[in-house]
Amino acid sequence: MIIRNSFLTILAAHPAHGYGLKSSFEASTGGAWRLNAGQVYSTLSRLERDGLIQSSEADSPERRSWSITDDGQAAVASWYDTPVDNRSNRDELVIKVLVAVAAGERDMDRVLQTQRAATMRRLQEFTRHKIAAPPDSELPDLMLLDAMILRAEAEIRWLDQCEQRLQASAAS
Amino acid sequence: MTSTHQTEPTLSLVDASRLHGEGPQAVRALGPVSLDIFPGELVAIMGPSGSGKSTLLSLAGALDRPTEGKVLIEGRDLADLSLAELAALRRRVIGFVFQDLNLLPGLTALENVALPLELDGSPLEETRTRALEELERVGLKDLAHRFPDNLSGGEQQRVAIARAFVGPRHLLLADEPTGALDSVTGEAVMRLLKSQCARGRTVVLVTHDAAHAAWADRVLFLRDGHIVDETVAIDSTGATQHGLPGQVQQNPAQHSQPQPLSPV
Ligand SMILES: Nc1ncnc2c1ncn2[C@@H]1O[C@H](COP(=O)(O)OP(=O)(O)OP(=O)(O)O)[C@@H](O)[C@H]1O
Ligand SMILES: [Mg+2]
Repeated sequence: MIIRNSFLTILAAHPAHGYGLKSSFEASTGGAWRLNAGQVYSTLSRLERDGLIQSSEADSPERRSWSITDDGQAAVASWYDTPVDNRSNRDELVIKVLVAVAAGERDMDRVLQTQRAATMRRLQEFTRHKIAAPPDSELPDLMLLDAMILRAEAEIRWLDQCEQRLQASAAS
Repeated sequence: MTSTHQTEPTLSLVDASRLHGEGPQAVRALGPVSLDIFPGELVAIMGPSGSGKSTLLSLAGALDRPTEGKVLIEGRDLADLSLAELAALRRRVIGFVFQDLNLLPGLTALENVALPLELDGSPLEETRTRALEELERVGLKDLAHRFPDNLSGGEQQRVAIARAFVGPRHLLLADEPTGALDSVTGEAVMRLLKSQCARGRTVVLVTHDAAHAAWADRVLFLRDGHIVDETVAIDSTGATQHGLPGQVQQNPAQHSQPQPLSPV
């Protein structure tokens, strides 16, 4: 759905060939997500089937230029109007810690500490990218880095909080 | 890069502990802790409240003495120094920055920065020049004549950093310097500290904020007065700035290149 909606959003701005769509998508996401040709063309054919895009006639799929239909425009508007629901509670780390606690693991400190050190190294690595980034870096690159840094930071805070809760519950 | 150091550490703790009180009632605020911090390093200390972070900084800055073990600054054992020598060390080598109340309200930014030099008996003209130089380095030359009340929190911290490094001072001990700042301003302070280290100055900072700690070359985790873990950042050549065999848990092969970012 993300690829589908992203293609529609790009096509709402201007018509494009399949390869152009792939490049625009990859550039706007700071290179975080690479697409293969199969994904691109299967997405396009589904969008066409649903009447959200249309194309010029051409002898091969690569040469077709795609443009958005009115229904496609409406689909983009409704994507913008719908907040993303990111409330997954199946984060592997969270589940791992919860299962370990429920199993009565005595050395939770070790589990938490190992993860905290690994996450801190990840955070250091992202921060190195940020330090190395030239001031005129592409906006998507910086915004992507911010997202990854904040996520890692949240993970560390959560681990700290787990440790404190476990200590408090052991003391009571 | 090899893991052995040719240079002398700026700061060393050797089995240093700080106990409060005596006998079975004694509270162990810190230790025993051993560590070496080298010129040009930015080291962050993290840990829960009461884990001994501020105690460690106080020992490092000769504000307090270890009850066991040693603290060395540039190879000199602080226990061997007279009070006058310790005071001189604080004027010429060590600067402090705290979370707030760093500046004297009755003095301008420039006068605040010049203060350690003045106390050290430098000629007035020279203290002014050096202080202005240092303010320029933190990007605040234009605000030199403002009083602290008329500076933002972030600007005040930059003045405090300028003062901590004015003249010959080159070791900064900072206790939660970003604690009272929003995250963007805090990041600007970290960037400034990083650039000071690139000039060969050394920074030890206590922070609760993992995103700020990640600017450091090394992050030490304290628990109940002990260092329980340490993470070392990898530079772009794949080498750790300071190899510490045995203390560092990482897989160099896995971290040798900055990896392209991938969605999580
Ligand atoms: N003068 C004192 N007498 C007795 N205990 C003390 C004294 N000073 C500090 N402590 C204890 O030493 C421990 C370490 O204190 P310290 O101030 O170094 O912690 P911290 O890590 O800086 O905490 P915070 O994050 O809250 O600033 C604490 O348990 C504290 O209660
Ligand atoms: Mg403290």
